[in-house]
Amino acid sequence: MTNVIETTGLVKDFGKVRALDGLDLSVATGEVHGFLGPNGAGKTTTIRVLLGLLHADAGKATLLGGDPWNDAVALHRRIAYVPGDVELWPNLTGGEAIDLLGRLRGGLDRARRDELVERFDLDPTKKGRTYSKGNRQKVALISALASDAELLLLDEPTAGLDPLMEAVFQEVIRAMKAEGRTVLLSSHILAQVEVLADRISIIRLGKVVESGTLRDLRHLTRTTFTVETTRPADAIAQLPGVFNYEFTDGQARFDVDAEHVGSVVEALATLGVRAITSRPPTLEQLLLRHYGDEMAVHNGERAEVAR
Amino acid sequence: MTATGPARGGTLAGTGSLVRFMLRRDRVKLPSWILGISAFWLYYTRLVPQAYPTQSDLDAIVSMMGGPAGRMWTGPTYFLDNMTYETFIPAAYGGYLILVIVLMSILVMVRHTRVEEQTGRAELVRASVVGRHAPLTAALVVALIANGVVAALVALMMIADPIFATAGSLLFAAGCFTTGLAFAGLTAVIVQVTEYSRTATSLAAGAGLGLAFLIKGLGDMGHEHGTLLSWFSPMAWPQQTAPFVLDRWWPLALSLAFAVVTAALGYALSARRDVGAGLVAPRAGKARGAWWLGTPIGLAWRLERRAIMWWALGLGLLGMAMGAFAERAVPGEMPEALLQVLGGAEDIAAGYLAYMGIFMATIVAIYAVLAMQGMRAEETGGRGEPVLSTAVSRWSWLGANVLVGAIGVVIIMAVAGAATGLGAASALGDNALIWDVTAAHLNHVPPVLVVLGAAALLFGLLPRATGAAWAVVAYGFIVGTFGALMDLPEVAFDLSPFEHAARMPLEEFELAPVVGLLAVAAALTVAGLVGFRRRDLDVT
Repeated sequence: MTNVIETTGLVKDFGKVRALDGLDLSVATGEVHGFLGPNGAGKTTTIRVLLGLLHADAGKATLLGGDPWNDAVALHRRIAYVPGDVELWPNLTGGEAIDLLGRLRGGLDRARRDELVERFDLDPTKKGRTYSKGNRQKVALISALASDAELLLLDEPTAGLDPLMEAVFQEVIRAMKAEGRTVLLSSHILAQVEVLADRISIIRLGKVVESGTLRDLRHLTRTTFTVETTRPADAIAQLPGVFNYEFTDGQARFDVDAEHVGSVVEALATLGVRAITSRPPTLEQLLLRHYGDEMAVHNGERAEVAR
Repeated sequence: MTATGPARGGTLAGTGSLVRFMLRRDRVKLPSWILGISAFWLYYTRLVPQAYPTQSDLDAIVSMMGGPAGRMWTGPTYFLDNMTYETFIPAAYGGYLILVIVLMSILVMVRHTRVEEQTGRAELVRASVVGRHAPLTAALVVALIANGVVAALVALMMIADPIFATAGSLLFAAGCFTTGLAFAGLTAVIVQVTEYSRTATSLAAGAGLGLAFLIKGLGDMGHEHGTLLSWFSPMAWPQQTAPFVLDRWWPLALSLAFAVVTAALGYALSARRDVGAGLVAPRAGKARGAWWLGTPIGLAWRLERRAIMWWALGLGLLGMAMGAFAERAVPGEMPEALLQVLGGAEDIAAGYLAYMGIFMATIVAIYAVLAMQGMRAEETGGRGEPVLSTAVSRWSWLGANVLVGAIGVVIIMAVAGAATGLGAASALGDNALIWDVTAAHLNHVPPVLVVLGAAALLFGLLPRATGAAWAVVAYGFIVGTFGALMDLPEVAFDLSPFEHAARMPLEEFELAPVVGLLAVAAALTVAGLVGFRRRDLDVT
């Protein structure tokens, strides 16, 4: 399997601000790749470099085997993009904008366009200015999804959509995946990524800090246990790899590092387990693990100020 | 302590902060305008005594300036009984000073009201502790400050100049001030009507200022002190104060009343509409794009066609009026300098019509700069990004916009020329003039394309400075209108793109300048395209 997107050491500076700081990202053909990170981490900048709208200061990016800057036009025929902030022409209707963008890309499937307009419940006769953020996003989505692009670059595509539309979006993306298309899905909605993404890259301060399947990533972090034992379980807290031990209402709760799960389960067996639940880490916990130290720094700063 | 409800006068809450914020955002723009306007005025007040050093020189101008043609362009001629520098300079050039001040007022108002709403920034501002009327009030206050500073500088410069008496100087400056405010008020109304800032600017500058200038011109043509028609134009009021002659203050009451009434109307209208919306409710449009709306050119045409239509209509009307006026352009005892502007005394009507072509070209150059500034707004407004992420190259996007801008220039010049020709033909009874004058106008298309190319170059290389193309227009206007009077060296004329084409119908058509100017325009555009291909898209 070849990679549709491959970047190595991408650097992009805006004045003194370093937006991308040696970003390595690879997205394989046919996968839905979740691209996660907080605001300002560099997700949108990465996508704009991949689109040839911005020129990287250093590093190399390959997109569908071509160079995003030099081969922009040829590549864009095979790509559909939905920006995070969709701006439309105030005096063009949504329908006109859908058709315009589709045709500029090289044509769109009319039957599919009409079907998507229906499914996303968009009124295509309204002028751009009168659309809400969600509706502007629908316009860009419909135009992108009605194309036959091999690669979809979606930058927080459903941030303004309601849950019903979110469900429609997920169905459509699954159908696209079934057709063998590749999707780079930058998102804040962790549930969406958890459901749709085959692989995930977590970006922080312009760098990809973690990349892999959700399953891979889960191995990198802790499992949460809740147990009720006949004998006191406090000794568990002393075992290596056990964190955040609490005992309330006769239940012990703690997190265990992936590589210590076996030894902890063995230790539990000797305590007379009455009930046990274990929960794999959520994506949220995965993210917080990477951003946790940042938050700690912030809190530290606040503490400094308080003093 | 008791809980308090919303403070009284809440609709104005936050005005002070907004004013400071607007002034900060305009910290380069406004001082540039103010200094530019002041320098313009300082220049003319110093220039005239040098261009016409003796009383007989001055008296010689009367035959030109005192006629209907002169009045159409400058205003009422209260100075006729007592022709001095003091009475003549404000009457002859003051109208243009006020024109530029008014333009500044219009742009300030649109920039801080409709542009903000269109971009959605106003929503953010209004959601904070800012009253409903605060943004409009703050914009008016900023316009008031800008006009006040300009007027103060004008007054100081004139009082410091031994030519001018203090009382008249103060009255003249006050006229600048109140007229600037009158148009700030008018713009406050216009920005309520449309939801698109470019339409608002065009309406205010074209329909508002253009119409006021036209009505004043036509009104003043009729009589040396203006006619009843003149009084319907806010542009006429400051000149009707007749500074240094009658020194009457009361016409300024009309300006102030106009400013107050229009501003009040602006407030009333703004209360009747939603943030971001216009008064004219948008109608449901087409559910599908027309067949031609699928190329960069189709898109550029779709976005520009309205502006082109309005410009053609406005300049067509202006041309018709000015063409009809060719009859009155009769040679008299004109000073040599003025004859030079009109191309010599042999065929003054043809000279006048030839000058009209250059004049129209300078005005259409304003459209050319606005078109490229619109392109820049597409980029910074985030509407360039979705287009450029389709199979549209940088070249074809910018190229399509330059091409449509050029087509617009040709259309507007052709309509303006045909209308001017029609007016002249009906006045002089010579139908061949329709074709001659149209051809003469089209002959002046290349210099406008040079301005368009200069703007495209700036867009490609120094996108933030796209507006610097205004300098080319201003320079061309000053050289074209006053260059001969100023006795400028040949080089100064050569630098203006407008001075090269043959002055048809006075002179025969020449191919060389047309080819040369087109080559310059093409080179500038290509350089702009290359620059744009190499730079980052300006996206936020």
